Formats: sequence, C-alpha cells, structure tokens
Amino acid sequence: MSHYDNIIIGAGHNGLVAAAYLAKQGKKVLVLERRSIIGGSVVTESFGDNFSVDSLHTGGTLRPDIIKDLKLASYGLQPDSAPQPFITLLADGSPLTLDVESIKRISEKDAARFPEFVRFMNKAAQIMDVTYSTIMPRLPMNFGFKEGYGLLEWALELKLAGRKDMLNFIRALPMTAQELVEEYFESDIVKAAICAVAIHGSTLGPMGAGTGYTLIHSWMNRGGLAHKNVGKAGEITTALANAVKAFGGEIRTEAEVASIKIENQIAKGVVLINGEEISANQIFSAADPKHTLLKLVGAQDLPPEFVWHTQSIKMRGSVAKIHLQTNGNHGIPEGTLVVAPSIKYLEKAYDATKYGEVSEEPYLEVTTSGNTISIHFQFAPYALKSGDWKLEIKKVEELAINSLSEYFPNLRASISNLKSLSPLDLEQTYGLTEGDLNHGQLMLDQFLFMRPIPGWSNHKTPIDNLYLCGSGVHGGGGVSGAAGRNAAKSVR
Amino acid sequence: MTANQYDAIIIGGGHNGLVAASYLARAGKKVVVLERRPIVGGAAVTEEIFPGYKFTEFSYVVSLLRPEIIRDLELPKHGLKILPLPSTFTPMENGDYLAAWDDHDLTRRELYRHSPKDAEAYDEYARVMARAAKAIKPIINLIPPDPSSMSIRDLMGLLKVGQYAASLSEKELYMVAKLATQSSADLLEEWFETDALKGTKAASGIIGTYLGPRSPGTAYVLLHHYMGEIDGAFRAWGFAKNGSGGVSGSIYNASQALGVEVRVNASVQQVKVKGGRAVGVILENGDELDSKVVMSAADPKRTFLQFVEQKHLPDDFVTSIQNFRARGSSGKINIALSKLPNFTALPYTGNGANSVLHRGAVSISPSIDYIERAYDDAKYGQISKRPYIDMIFPSMIDPDMAPPGHHVMSCFVQYAPYDLEGGWTDQRRDELGEAVIATIEQYAPNIRECIVGMQVISPKDIERIAGITGGNIFHGELLLHQIFFLRPTPQWADFRTPLKGYYFGASGAHPGGGVMGAPGMLAAKEILKDGML
Amino acid sequence: MLNLNLKTTPFHERTSALCQPQNWRKWAGYFVVGSYEHVLDREYWAIRNSAALIDVSPLIKYVIKGKDAAALLHRVTTRNVHKMKVGQVAYTGWCDEEGKMIDDGTISRLEDSTFRLTAAEPNLRWLTMNAVGMDVSITEVTDDVAALSFQGPNTRKVLNKVTEKPVDELKYFRLMTNKINGVDVTISRTGYTGDLGYEIWMDKKDALKVWDALMESGSDYGITPVGILAMDMARVEAGLFMLDVDYTSASHAWIESQKSSPFELGLDWTVALDKPGYFVGRRALEKEKREGSAWKMVGLAVDWVGMEKLFGKVGLPPQIPGSAIRGSLPVMVGGVHVGYASTSTWSPLLKTYIALAHLQKPYYEIGTDVTMEITVEHHRRQAPAKVVKLPFYEPEWKKK
Repeated sequence: MSHYDNIIIGAGHNGLVAAAYLAKQGKKVLVLERRSIIGGSVVTESFGDNFSVDSLHTGGTLRPDIIKDLKLASYGLQPDSAPQPFITLLADGSPLTLDVESIKRISEKDAARFPEFVRFMNKAAQIMDVTYSTIMPRLPMNFGFKEGYGLLEWALELKLAGRKDMLNFIRALPMTAQELVEEYFESDIVKAAICAVAIHGSTLGPMGAGTGYTLIHSWMNRGGLAHKNVGKAGEITTALANAVKAFGGEIRTEAEVASIKIENQIAKGVVLINGEEISANQIFSAADPKHTLLKLVGAQDLPPEFVWHTQSIKMRGSVAKIHLQTNGNHGIPEGTLVVAPSIKYLEKAYDATKYGEVSEEPYLEVTTSGNTISIHFQFAPYALKSGDWKLEIKKVEELAINSLSEYFPNLRASISNLKSLSPLDLEQTYGLTEGDLNHGQLMLDQFLFMRPIPGWSNHKTPIDNLYLCGSGVHGGGGVSGAAGRNAAKSVR
Repeated sequence: MTANQYDAIIIGGGHNGLVAASYLARAGKKVVVLERRPIVGGAAVTEEIFPGYKFTEFSYVVSLLRPEIIRDLELPKHGLKILPLPSTFTPMENGDYLAAWDDHDLTRRELYRHSPKDAEAYDEYARVMARAAKAIKPIINLIPPDPSSMSIRDLMGLLKVGQYAASLSEKELYMVAKLATQSSADLLEEWFETDALKGTKAASGIIGTYLGPRSPGTAYVLLHHYMGEIDGAFRAWGFAKNGSGGVSGSIYNASQALGVEVRVNASVQQVKVKGGRAVGVILENGDELDSKVVMSAADPKRTFLQFVEQKHLPDDFVTSIQNFRARGSSGKINIALSKLPNFTALPYTGNGANSVLHRGAVSISPSIDYIERAYDDAKYGQISKRPYIDMIFPSMIDPDMAPPGHHVMSCFVQYAPYDLEGGWTDQRRDELGEAVIATIEQYAPNIRECIVGMQVISPKDIERIAGITGGNIFHGELLLHQIFFLRPTPQWADFRTPLKGYYFGASGAHPGGGVMGAPGMLAAKEILKDGML
Repeated sequence: MLNLNLKTTPFHERTSALCQPQNWRKWAGYFVVGSYEHVLDREYWAIRNSAALIDVSPLIKYVIKGKDAAALLHRVTTRNVHKMKVGQVAYTGWCDEEGKMIDDGTISRLEDSTFRLTAAEPNLRWLTMNAVGMDVSITEVTDDVAALSFQGPNTRKVLNKVTEKPVDELKYFRLMTNKINGVDVTISRTGYTGDLGYEIWMDKKDALKVWDALMESGSDYGITPVGILAMDMARVEAGLFMLDVDYTSASHAWIESQKSSPFELGLDWTVALDKPGYFVGRRALEKEKREGSAWKMVGLAVDWVGMEKLFGKVGLPPQIPGSAIRGSLPVMVGGVHVGYASTSTWSPLLKTYIALAHLQKPYYEIGTDVTMEITVEHHRRQAPAKVVKLPFYEPEWKKK
C-alpha cells in the first residue's frame, strides 16, 4: 500500500491550491481526481471542434497572494485581461453598459451616484477579502496566537475602513440587494442589473435578506460587475496543477475516492472505487462537505448532532448552463450581459424554485467570447417538484434561447452546436452535491464561523487528520482559492 | 413653574409613552404626555366599535410586556389582569386539525398523532428556543453600544456585550448566531415534518414583517416572540382582561397615580429647538409647551422627519431614517358574532360555550408554502388571496367583551401590504375582508351567518388612526439590519438623537415592537442618566 | 372526538378498582397508581417478602429491527451490543457527544436483528438521528405493549404455576418467550427493586388475562398489587437511580453542571470502552476514564444515633417521612458543601435512613464521614452520615 504525507481529494482550484502549498512545504502530496481531467468547477472544456468553453465558473481570478506564493505566472497563468463591460438590456432591446457615461442616458442622478456606489462596493469587497483570508476559529474565541493574530488583523481592517464604511459594511450584509441598491439608484434597470450579480449562483431573490452579502461576495470574486478572463477558467487550474507537480506533488486522474478509511475517529487513508487503498498522515477533502462527510466518511463514524447539522447544510443548486457554438452572427455583444429587466422579474424568477419549478421567465447571464456563448440560467432547481432533469433540460434550453432571441433575433439561426448542463449534471459530472456551485449556499447562516456548520469553520472535522479545504468551508465560494490556502496553512 | 412648563414632554400616549412617563414621574419629574387621539393607548386601545361589542382595535395578545414594568409600576394594582390563552388550533387542508395545548402531555399526544418524530422534536425544539431566548434576554435590557465609536460609554457597552457573549457556551453562541440569520422555514424544516406544525410555527416568524417564512432573518422574529415565554410572569401568550386596552389602561392608571399629566386631543406639530437643543413643543392648536427634554414615542419617521425641522438633523441621519423599513404588511378584522363559527375539523355541539378550541387561538397556517404564497402576493403589491389569519375569540376568555351569548372575534391578517398596487380604497378594504371571510369559510362554513358586524383595518387605517407611518405594527420591521445597535439607525440606538434634549423611546427603538414597553422604560432611564432634568 | 384526559394503561380496569386512596400519579402521560392503600408498608413488604405486582406499562419502549439494529444500539449506547446473545438483556445508559447521560434503560435482544429498548423519556428522535445511513426501523410500542413488573422472593413460584414453560432456568438478565393463561408473553428476569423479580411483556389486548391469572395463582403466595411509591423506596435500597430525580438528562439540562456522566453515576461497568468502533461520547468518556471523575454517586447511611440526638434536643423522637423524598438535600464535610442527596428514604428493612448522594472528589470514597441536611422542627440541621457501598440491600436470591 502506498503512503503519502497528504492526500487531497479533488483537483479543483481549492484542492490544487492546498496541494501546492503543502507540496511547497516539502510534503509528499497526492491529489486524487475522479474525472479524467483536472479543474473541478474551474475548468475549460471542449464540447466539439472549436467549441471550447468555461463549463461552470466563467473565468475568474485567484487571490494575488496565491499567484505570488505559488509563482503561478511562471506556470503559464496569464495576467488579468482588461476590465470587461457589464451590459444589461433596456426594454427596447438595446444594450446598456453599466458605466457613468451610459447610465447618464437613462438617469443623471444614478450616473452621479454610480462612482460612490463603486467606491463603497470596492471597499466592502476589500473587507470581505480580508475576512475570507482569515481562518475562522471556533467560538468562544479560545484560539492560539496564530488564529488570534489573523482575527486581530481582520478587526483592524474593519476599523481602518473608517467608521461609516464599517457600519455600512456590517449593515449591508443582512440587507436585501434591493434595499442596498435602492439607497443609491432610482432606475429599475440599473438596480436590477446590479441585483442580478447579487443573486448569481445563489438560490435567493433580490428581495431576500442576505443578498447584500452575496452582492459583496460576487463583487469581490469578479473584481466588479463583469467577469474577467472569460473562456480561460482552465488556465487557472492548469497553472495550479503545474505548480503542484513542480513542487514535487503527484496528481492522479480517474481516481475516484469511494471512502475515507477511519479507525477510532482517525483518518488513515482512502479507498478508491477500484478497491485500491492509499494511506496518508493527513487527508484534505476539496469535495463539498456533505459529500465528504456523509458519503466518504459516513454518518456511522460521526456524532449524531454533527450529522444532523451536516444534513441541514443548504445546498439547493438552481443553476443550469447552456453553451452555444455559433457561426458568429448571433448579435450578442462581447463581455458579460444580463437579462434582468426589473427587480420584480428577478424575484419572480426565484419564486419558482421555492415550489420546485423552473423559472418561466429566467434570469440569464450571458458571456460571449467570439463564436461561443455561455448562458448561465437561473432558476432551475435541482429538486424538481415533478419531472426529471434528463427531460426537463430540453425545456430549459428552449426557455433560454427563446428568451435571448427576443433581444437577439439572429441567435437561433446562428447556433451550430449546443451543450447544456442541468443541476443534475452538475452533481453527476462535476460532483457538486445538489448542483450547488458554491458547495453550500452563501447565506448568512452559512457564513463566517458557521460555514460549513457552526463550530467547524476552522477546516477541522470530528475525524482527526481529516480537513476540509473546498468551497464549502469559510473562505470558500468563488474562485479565490482562499479556502484551499487557509486549510493548508491551518495545519502543521 | 408655569402651567406649560415641564421637566419632560412625552409625545404619544401609547404604551411606550405612558411607560416612559411613569418612570420619569416615579423619579419625581414633572411630566406631560401628549396624545393626538381623544383616548390614550395608541395601538393598544380597546373600543366599543359596535354597541355592546368591545374590541382591541390593533394589537390583541400580550406576552412580551416586560415583567419588570409590571412590577415597577405595580400594574396589577392598576387593573392589569392577564388571562391565559390555553391552546392553538390549526385546521388542516385535509379536514383534520393540529392542536397545541398548554399541557405538555396533551400536546405531545396530539403531535404524536401526526408524527411521533415531531412529538419529540417539539420538546427538544422548545428547549432549544427557550435556551436561545434565555441567552439573548439580557440584550433586551442592554443599551446598544455603537461598535464604531471610541467613547467611554460605547466601549463600556461593547465590553458588556463581550462579557455577555463570553458567558454563553459555544453551543449557545452558535444557536443565537444561527437563529439571528436563518429563515424560519429553514429552521423549522431542520426539526419537523408535519406541515401544519411548521406553518403555525413559521407564522410567528413573519408577524409584523414584510417577509415570507423563506426569507432569511425571520427566525429571529420567531425568537422575538418566544421571549415572553421564559419569564415566570407568563408561561405563554396571554390575553389582557378588557383587551390590550387593559394593558395601556393599567399603565395609564399607574401614570395617574404617579402624577403624570396626560393631555388628549393634543397633536404635536413641531418640536421647539433653541440653541441646538429641544426645549419644548408646539401643538397644532398653537399652544406651546416648554420642557427640559422631549421624548417621542411616535414612529421614527414622524419623530425625525415630521416633528423636527430637517435643518436640526445631519443629512446622513435623515437619509437613514428615510431608508428605515417600516412597511406595514398586516391588517386586522374585528368581527361581532351572534354565535361562534363552527369548525368542521372539530365541531362543537350546543351553542359552543364549552368549545375548547374557541378558548384558544385558531391559526390559518396549514403549511409553510401556504404562508409563502400569501407573501408572494404581497411582495408584488397585492392582498394575499389566501392570507395567514390568527383568530381569537376574546369573549370566550373575557365574557364582558360582548353581550351575553354573543361573541367578538379578532382576526390578525397578513399579508395586506401598505403599498398596495393602485392604493387602498374602500373597495380594496372590502376585498381584504372578503379574502379573510372566504378563507375562514373553508374551515368554518357557517361563518357568514354568524356575523353581526365587521370592521376591516388596513395598514393605511393603522397609519391614519394610530399614527404609525407605514402602518407597521412594530413601527419598523424587525430586520437584521434594523435591530440592536442598528435600530433605528447606526450610532443612534441608545435612545438619544442628534438633537440634544430630544429622545426616542418607541417600538422603532431597541429592542423593538410588540406590547413590550421596554423601549419606553429604557429611554426613560437614559434620560434620567443624562442629568438634564 | 377530542379527549383531553390523561391516558390510562391496559390494566386500568383492574388497578382503578383496587386503588383505595385514589392516589394516582402521572407517568409519561398516563395515570398510574401511586399506592393502593393509605400507608405504603404492606406494599413495600410485598416486594421484600412475597410477590409484588406493579403496572409499569407507561415505560417507553421501542422495537428496533433490521440488518443494522445491533449496529445502531452499539453506536448509541455504551454497551458492547454486538456481543449480546439472543435472549440476553442489558442495562445501559446512553450519552451525548460530551459523554453526558441522556437516559437509561434496558436492551433486550429478542431475535438476532430485533431488539427492544426501554427508556424513561421519549428517545425516538435521538435514535433516528443516530440511524442515518443504517438499514433499521425504529418503532415506538409504548401504547401497544403492556408491562408488569413482578417482584419479590415468591415470584418464581407463582410464575411456575401459571406459565406454560417453567421459569426456573431463566437466568438473571435473560429473557424467554412463554405463555400465561393461553396468552403469548415475554418474561425477562429484570426489575427495579433489587430483589428476585421478573418483568412480563404482552400485547395490550391480553393485559387483563395475564393480570387475572397472576392474581389468582398468586393469592396463596401473598401476591399484592403495588404502586410506584413503594417501588420508589425499594429502588433506593437497591441503589438504582431515576432520570429527572437523581440525574438530569443532558438534553434537558440548562447548564453544564446539571449533567452527569455514566462514571459519575457509578455505571463504570456498563461503559465498554474496549468495544470496537465509534459510539456516541466515546472520546469524552475515554478522557474522563483517564483523568478520573469529579463526582460520584454513592450511598449515604445516616447515623441513627446522631439523628436521635438532633431530634432529642427539641424533645422529639426522630421523624422520618413514610415514602421516598425526591428533593435535593445538601451534604457537607466540616461545614463545607461537598455534594447533595437526590433521593432519600427510610429503609423499613434496614431500619436506616438512606440516601443516594452525589459527592465531589475525594469525598466519595467509601467510609467517608459526612453530614446530610435534615429538618428538625423547622430548623435545618446536619445529621452525621457515612458513605457506603451501593446497593444498600442485595438479597442472595436476586441473581440466583
């Protein structure tokens, strides 16, 4: 039986970040990936000739300190592309880019307030970034120097933000996105476009409390409203994989972990689905907490209350992706474009998920890069009240194309190839329980020391030597890599 | 001192205003309460709307009234009598019912009938909520500190909050944090499987908010309602003799015994400001009253946007008061009955005088989805087609409320949005009444033949009659960004205001709404602390 | 139709006819007889001297069935359930993750993958929470299964007269299926009195047939219906504690100090730390075992001469209540508080005032001299007492 210092389950960005940091410390590291390709949710895949797209997460950027620490530039990671436009559609179908000049067309007042909004959001994102890079200890605050120091830095950052921004940041978290944008803007089209970013990837409507938080989260992740590096998500994970190997780590694909071997509440190794056993001193799981704990560990080896809380983690994915290959005559502008005509429209789109239905009038985010178009469709709830995702996905494809065709009549004729991913595909192909992109909804009760569940935000689990390093733990959600980095740093 | 010269003027003769006045008078101050209506009591008044039938127009149950106020002001001596509300009865869509009793064994047996698992979870849940309520109870009587401030008072306040947090166990801390941020639906779905149970419990998480049970933050409102249950004073929700007016009536009597002057039909036009401080008020009839301090027990918007000229307040402050969410979402239907409506799920025989279910509350809340759909209507500016209704029959507990053999019925109804699309008209008000009757009719088919008279109160009416801007029964929703040090607005949660000598002690202040009295009491204590009297 | 009365047990028709003083007690939502006579003596002595018939139907009972039934109980309780044989009964406590007692009861292995668990409080939720991912069904059968506790030195003789198969071979903490009066019953050699005794389990529809058969054939052996108050005295003599009286369930406790570990309750022998695999509370219990317990439940025997002296000062003979006292009494050493007695009773057999007491380290050592609070003519006094081994009384025929 082979033995490693560390086994990392899952070669997504967080798993690879953790692996690279551990390998860099000189550990003998093995990354196990169930798919034939690495990348997890941060992956660029080809679904046909010249039909290569970011399957799930569009583009994205890692934390700059990770890029620096792991020397990712030398492994082929390109610097950020120039800021991309963020476009919404006016009632007449014409596009409106969200910047001061364009907003002036519809509201002088909103245009005037836009820079102040951007300033506050950048500030809030900065505070959020420091928050995510701080390892959250258990409460009450009985922690060591290292954790205490991190918290002190965090508290300092809050204080440094200035009295007003700090209070507004705290106040913004539990607010609804609607309330937040209404404090700045009067035009519904501007408000809705910003609210779209708040609910992106979350199963919440803009009238739901806590979407103030998700707006700040998304803003931080994207570095603004629009996506960066569209079509290049795979470069991130490829560079990370190169870094892991360069530091002496091993990566095995098509190596699905069936279970984690446990003796007396101590993790000893993993068993692959082919029966192969590999032992390790420490195991890091970048899979989502529900999968890791209930499937790979199993409820039998965990305390009952812990199991209950783990079962209660809210996953509820409601995203479907539709990727289109076209002949280029689609008429959709490059960049990030949203179909979000009003706040009510977005909220109504969300309402459907509460009852297990697909939104008849969905919120769409469309990222276009040359001939390929990626449509992010919300809301398509994983848990359908009736029906089967294998069939229902056709309806979603139609809804998405119809809805876009209203604005871009040439779209349908231009399509030459299509690849759609239902929430069930997200689970089955990408291993995301209930199709939740973030490994657990970004909600206030799954935030800070409550992520993934209260008391276990410090990457530990009730199983000794088993750590969580994926998006489901504090720091996670999005492409920043903070969760993977924090996990690697939290362990001696 | 001249006749119109006081130590303190209190604007508003609701329960908070009367409580504040009584505490100040108890400290030997000369106090006047100014009430714009011809009667005191604010939202907690009892009126004879139809001859022989008495109603509490707005609020209807008490459990939140702070026991220390009852003791300090000796309210029982002044007529306060709280009668128990022994059960809650939820008729179900399948013709069955779910009942909860004040007896533990009975409730367990009833729940067991629906789900053995829920019967047990219910006990455990009740303990967890009681522990959480115990854990956050000290916060109620805490003056919220400003975490961004460096003043000694705020730092000491923060220290107190810190000490308090440190006194909780790890589990309790998480419990409180989770309850503060969750949706009531998520909370309840972790615990229970019976729809009617989840629906009925979730209902108390939406009362007074413009949110649905699936909106994050509603678990906190649910906890807010639990608060009353842990003090020895009341074991459960109670009903005041003579209606909620009995509560303000007793506070009024207490204030009179303490020498408070109460002026009715005294509508305040403006707070007088001299040298940057509040020095009295001008009434709409032109009278002027002078005082050392003025406290408002009106809602935040009237307190700061109507009574005070904007130039006396910082722009930021005005903006945040404008942004303060006080969207009314509930209405009240008061019905005079010739007999009790008969519920098909548990019919009575005879005249129903011995009916068990009518002695308690009847809740139309068959499931979380039912309430959420009611909210969906309201979210887009419509009256809920099938609303959540909380009914009680005060005459079953207090026979003096109706002529012998007859009854009064009070229906709290949600959602009836203040910002109704197209606005409130007489016709829309009738529509609300009809939605309620049609809903009740599904469960009690003879309701229409029982009705002698009916009064429908929309949030607009609450605004008009009780003078609460937006018609929100809590003067401002209990949202996470509107509680504790953020209520009503950051930096001004300690009952003081940017205008020196002007204080704010109403439901819109910490710790919030309900017939609780805490804001009035805490504000009065802060006024005394400042030594301006 | 809505019924707001307490539930009655399947034996109610018989017990209510015999209950002279209308002394009823509430137990888990049921009416049960507190005592059948105005004084407890005759009922108490039936337990120790002849044959006591006690209706224990309100005892909460679960049937746990399925491939993983043993695994579930192994995980929940502190016993090594995998080692239990069919027909074996094991007394056990179960803990939360912090190793604090939630409840206690007996596990009966009825078949290879069918168990019955008794409990003082409802535990369905806890069992279900622990059964995640297991192939097992958990059914509460409290209302369906009637139970009689048959206790006292003559019970074997009486049973042999009415059962289809003799019970002579039935060993301590074993069970057998049998027939009484043509009715299927399960008989276990268990009880809550520390005497020779059996518990008889039957379908509720057969309850009266079994009762009648026992009463009839027992009449020559002094069979006596006994209420739960007399049983309460006997169980203290036997050193057996009771949930909510002698300890607080970890799931009910408001504060940490209200909780107890099985070691603190003297259940060391039930905690199988050597058993394989995870069980709830394992780590905390291992730690407590290593570091020692801060508290321990022990027996206290109050010194009669010392009591006489205290009462003598006011001119009275010692006054002792006629039934067990479920109230906390402070225990001290040299005027310093070192613990409390949770139940105390006069032992008619031992002619001693005894108590179950919870004492802090090191005062729980056998032989330690302490004092326990008694009330002498409205004044609180400290009566001298000694820490003694539990049980206070164990007849040689109990396990034979």
